[in-house]
Amino acid sequence: MHRRTLLQSALAGTALGALAPATRALAATDILWMTWENLAKDDYLAPFLSTHDVSLTKTFIGTDDEQFAKLRAGGASSVDLITPGLDKVEFYTASDLLQPIDFEKVPNAALLYDTFKQTPLGKMDGETYGIPFYWGINPIVYRADLMDEEPDWSVFFEGDKYDGKLAMRDYALEGIMIAAMYLGIPESEMFDMDDAQLAEIKRVLMIQKSKLRTYWNSIGDLTNLFATGEVVCAFSWVPPYYDLRAQGIDMGMAKPKAGVIGWCDTIAVPKGVEGERLDATFELVNYLLGPEYGKMLAVGGPYAQSTSAARDMLSPEEQSKIFIDDLSVMDSFVWKKNPPRYNEWVALWNEVKAS
Amino acid sequence: MTRLGTILASPVIAALLALCIAPLAILFVYSFYQVDFVTISREPTLANYAKIAGSPTYRGLIVRAFGSAALVVAITAVIAYPVSWFLAKRVGAAKSTLLTLLLVPLYSGDLVRIFAWRVLLGAEGVINRSLMWLGAIETPLQSLLFSPLSTHIALVYNYLPFMVIGLWLAFEALDDAWLEAAADLGAPAHARFRRVVLPLTLPGLIAGGLMVFLMVAGDYLTPQLLGGASGITIISAINDLFGTAFDWPLGSAIAWTMLAILMMAFAAGALAIRRSSLVEGRT
Repeated sequence: MHRRTLLQSALAGTALGALAPATRALAATDILWMTWENLAKDDYLAPFLSTHDVSLTKTFIGTDDEQFAKLRAGGASSVDLITPGLDKVEFYTASDLLQPIDFEKVPNAALLYDTFKQTPLGKMDGETYGIPFYWGINPIVYRADLMDEEPDWSVFFEGDKYDGKLAMRDYALEGIMIAAMYLGIPESEMFDMDDAQLAEIKRVLMIQKSKLRTYWNSIGDLTNLFATGEVVCAFSWVPPYYDLRAQGIDMGMAKPKAGVIGWCDTIAVPKGVEGERLDATFELVNYLLGPEYGKMLAVGGPYAQSTSAARDMLSPEEQSKIFIDDLSVMDSFVWKKNPPRYNEWVALWNEVKAS
Repeated sequence: MTRLGTILASPVIAALLALCIAPLAILFVYSFYQVDFVTISREPTLANYAKIAGSPTYRGLIVRAFGSAALVVAITAVIAYPVSWFLAKRVGAAKSTLLTLLLVPLYSGDLVRIFAWRVLLGAEGVINRSLMWLGAIETPLQSLLFSPLSTHIALVYNYLPFMVIGLWLAFEALDDAWLEAAADLGAPAHARFRRVVLPLTLPGLIAGGLMVFLMVAGDYLTPQLLGGASGITIISAINDLFGTAFDWPLGSAIAWTMLAILMMAFAAGALAIRRSSLVEGRT
């Protein structure tokens, strides 16, 4: 081969090689999803990615606050989809960070459970900015082998039998909600308590602190504390109950009659996402509310999505595990909201812990 | 500095300004703002500093942070003096091996060390089980874990190597002739330590002490995971203010209050080192 021909061939090959990935990148719409790691497992998303010309980049959060701080600090323009708590959407809308959900592009939203259709949370001026995505409860989890009876909220405030064996999540919002439920403060007043009510809350939280082994921050750490017997009862997330039962420990889960804290995360689209990226993002949103994803989340999570899309595909046991076998359970939920005086709540919580 | 030196140093100075000074300056500016829900009002005010001064919680947490740091500095100094002396003056060929062993725990992460202490100090842990097996106690000592005791044990363990290194360097520079002269003049051991060793190793003590002090004052993970219900620190309170409460201005004001106190401690330490060096130089 002539040297010039060889060089031309080599250059052409190099150019084609460089062009090939660029062509693929241009064909696929790249969207970035900021979310919890457990929601974006590859197998959960594989059916969507195999049928859509979308390239998905995932970035994971450790807390809801971290997600808001990132967007508030100027990260909104690079993110196409986020997963804020239903009670936190107000933070984002007040900061003008979100765009309303286009329900015409999300047909699976028609399957939202009534509770989520009717909630005023995540909405502003008649528009929905955070569409309910998946939900659950934060109950009391306890070592049934080390406690005499199923506890309720009073175990954290009364008696001395389990002093030094209890744990509470280090989170002002839920900690104060629990004290309010214990004191019988109705939900209608709970998030807008006056000074006298907050003083009473502080008083009982001081009692609670004297009974605690620790305040927990990570659910893995709490699971470890249950397993080693350091803690016999805690306000908890659900996973330790299932994880430790699987290890042969007799665990119990209590849903106090005074109320159970319900949580729900939403899917929200930041402002500035438009064109093909917006269309692809809404296609992903629709998939996340659909049956394939819902079933995998229920079995693998185990968490319930906010629509009934996958409900009939699940066995009664699987439905029971994610609390959708009897939807009236939601009637006893106290959904987390954002208190107007939240700064004072956090200050009060820190005062109690520092006492 | 020559012109070439200025040119060569300018990238470093620029990086220092952009990565270290600028963020601190931004925090300082924010500390004079106020927050209303998620909107930051940029009207300058001293309200945040007044809030810190008027809050027993924040004042108490700041005092607790520096009190803990001072206590750990004192304990590590007491332990590190004989260890450093031994390493510098009594060990020959094994010196580098022993120094490496001293630093080995630092190769593991903070969390690994903290959870190791959980295994040792827990109700079902090694120490409680051993004491029960020996018949010294009938039920596990709950106060071993999730208490100020466990927090300070772990803090001393974590930061002891920094004090040892500081003092070891000082002992390496200490001429044995001084001690021999003091002994020849009839000074007993405590007098030799107080009048010879302490003044001549003071720069190492201050340098090591400052390092330990700064790191303990800023450590929130150890108190959080080992301190139990009382494991709150001023750093975790700042974290709550920045994250949960979205009160960046108050968080910034507390951070700057801490920084100002630490800078004063650092300046006092540097001044003390300088003075002790001058004294050493004159003698």
